Amino acid sequence: MGRPMALNLIKRGHELSVWARRHDAAQPPVDAGAAYCASPAEVAQRSEVVFTIVTAGKDVEEVALGEAGIIHGARPGTVVIDCSTIPPATTRRISAELQVAGVDLLDAPVSGGEPGAIAGTLSIMVGGKREVFERMQPLLGCVGKTLVYVGESGAGQVAKACNQLALVVAIQGIAEAAVFARANGVDFQPVWAALTKGLAASRMLDLIGPRMMQRQFDAGVDARLHHKDAHIVLQCAQESKTYVPGAALAAEAFNALMNLGDERRWDSAAIVKVMEEMSGFPARGL
Amino acid sequence: MNIGFVGLGIMGRPMALHLVKGGHSLRVSARRPEAMTPLTQAGATACSSPAEAARGSEVIFTMVSDTPDVEQVVLGPGGVAEGAAPGSVVVDMSTISPVATRAMAAKLAEKGIEMLDAPVSGGDVGAINATLSIMVGGKPEIFAKVKPLFELMGKNIVHIGANGAGQVAKACNQIVGAVVLESVAEALTLARKNGVDPARVREALLGGYAWSRMLELHGGRMLSRDFKPGFRARLHRKDLRIAVETAAALDIGLPQTALVAQHLNALVGMGLGEEDSAAVVKVIEHASGVKG
Repeated sequence: MGRPMALNLIKRGHELSVWARRHDAAQPPVDAGAAYCASPAEVAQRSEVVFTIVTAGKDVEEVALGEAGIIHGARPGTVVIDCSTIPPATTRRISAELQVAGVDLLDAPVSGGEPGAIAGTLSIMVGGKREVFERMQPLLGCVGKTLVYVGESGAGQVAKACNQLALVVAIQGIAEAAVFARANGVDFQPVWAALTKGLAASRMLDLIGPRMMQRQFDAGVDARLHHKDAHIVLQCAQESKTYVPGAALAAEAFNALMNLGDERRWDSAAIVKVMEEMSGFPARGL
Repeated sequence: MNIGFVGLGIMGRPMALHLVKGGHSLRVSARRPEAMTPLTQAGATACSSPAEAARGSEVIFTMVSDTPDVEQVVLGPGGVAEGAAPGSVVVDMSTISPVATRAMAAKLAEKGIEMLDAPVSGGDVGAINATLSIMVGGKPEIFAKVKPLFELMGKNIVHIGANGAGQVAKACNQIVGAVVLESVAEALTLARKNGVDPARVREALLGGYAWSRMLELHGGRMLSRDFKPGFRARLHRKDLRIAVETAAALDIGLPQTALVAQHLNALVGMGLGEEDSAAVVKVIEHASGVKG
């Protein structure tokens, strides 16, 4: 995600300093003119605005507040825009610590996947000070199309949690329909075609349905991230005492998926395999 | 063409009227005799039983509520099977169990009677405007024969597969729709409980991978608290019950579907079965301690 986003910022004429855990991951932006830095702190020294997009809450804590983290290079007035998907509570904690150093944090998780990152059409959900969001809007517009200011610090992550909740539950619903059709001896293709035109239509049905039909389970790498995000949803629900049983079921299905071979390769369409195996396919010859 | 039509409720009445307007000769039957009046005024012949409506008809449509109702009007005493001639076609447009549909098609086949299952989606508005989506199961040549009649009642007409396949497609439609509806209700409640404006969250989600028609339409209803039907929760519950019962008959696990079915049970239990099924958000809110 980070690579195409960085390239889009360069394309729009911004000067970039970059850092990545794996040095070679930074090569394409460096080839496009970015300066490679030895640490997140060094990136911050050279920048007015620092984007971060890493995997988990502890990774954001490390690059923002760790030994060679952004906080050690940033000046007061620097803005950090974290595009990672992490728990809202973690975001609020990091934001408070950065604020002590005079650094503003926006939580700006994105939706739209790698194609959206490449095309610069991501949906970005932003939390933090409204005034900072408004200042950063032109930069965010370089990487995304739908920019929504959701509310104060952490609100962007809450919106992303809602987004992921909607996704993982919808994916499991599609998988259940595919299993239902198969158990009835009905080809899912015409069923899918009928569904895409009605009330059951969704972007996930458009994208994941065909992968389930073609049994193409390694077209993306979303399963590992959806597995992580489903648990952020449950954590967020537990803290806010929200009843989300559908999300809980989906989180369990993603737990089960992590046991089916090489988890790093799975696309979330592979949830259909979990549902099939649970019901005894293909051993039953269905 | 000579056509029989059984079941003249909120859906069947406008559908039958389209067939009359299309120049066909209709013999109609309904549980409540007064339901036949608009049809007889339009030129249809009122019959005393489904068997009577089937007599002399090449195609006999049935549009009733539930699996036992279809079994009753087709195979019961005075049912369609008693009056239908070999070579005629029974077209069931009700939403019922695919398993029961396959069994019924087999029984009719013993008498040389063909069957199509052709459940619809689009509600009473779609029935009145002849814009229903129709999902059809049965032999391709029988589908081809009846297709001109479907075209008088609907727009998006898809032949899915063999007998029962139309009902399978309809059940899949209800499964996916209901599970997405549940996800929308949970997501918007999670936002509220976290002190975040659910309207802004919905707006953000509509721009990304989480877009769904349910988020657009029913998510909007949840925010504006507009729970006028629409599609009544009570009927949505019936359709999910078909999915859950079929899953049990086929020994497959559909946990999300079962969960939403339970929430619709709870919604009916709260006395809200006549509201739009978007009201399922009230079950989520109630359990989450959200007031109002």
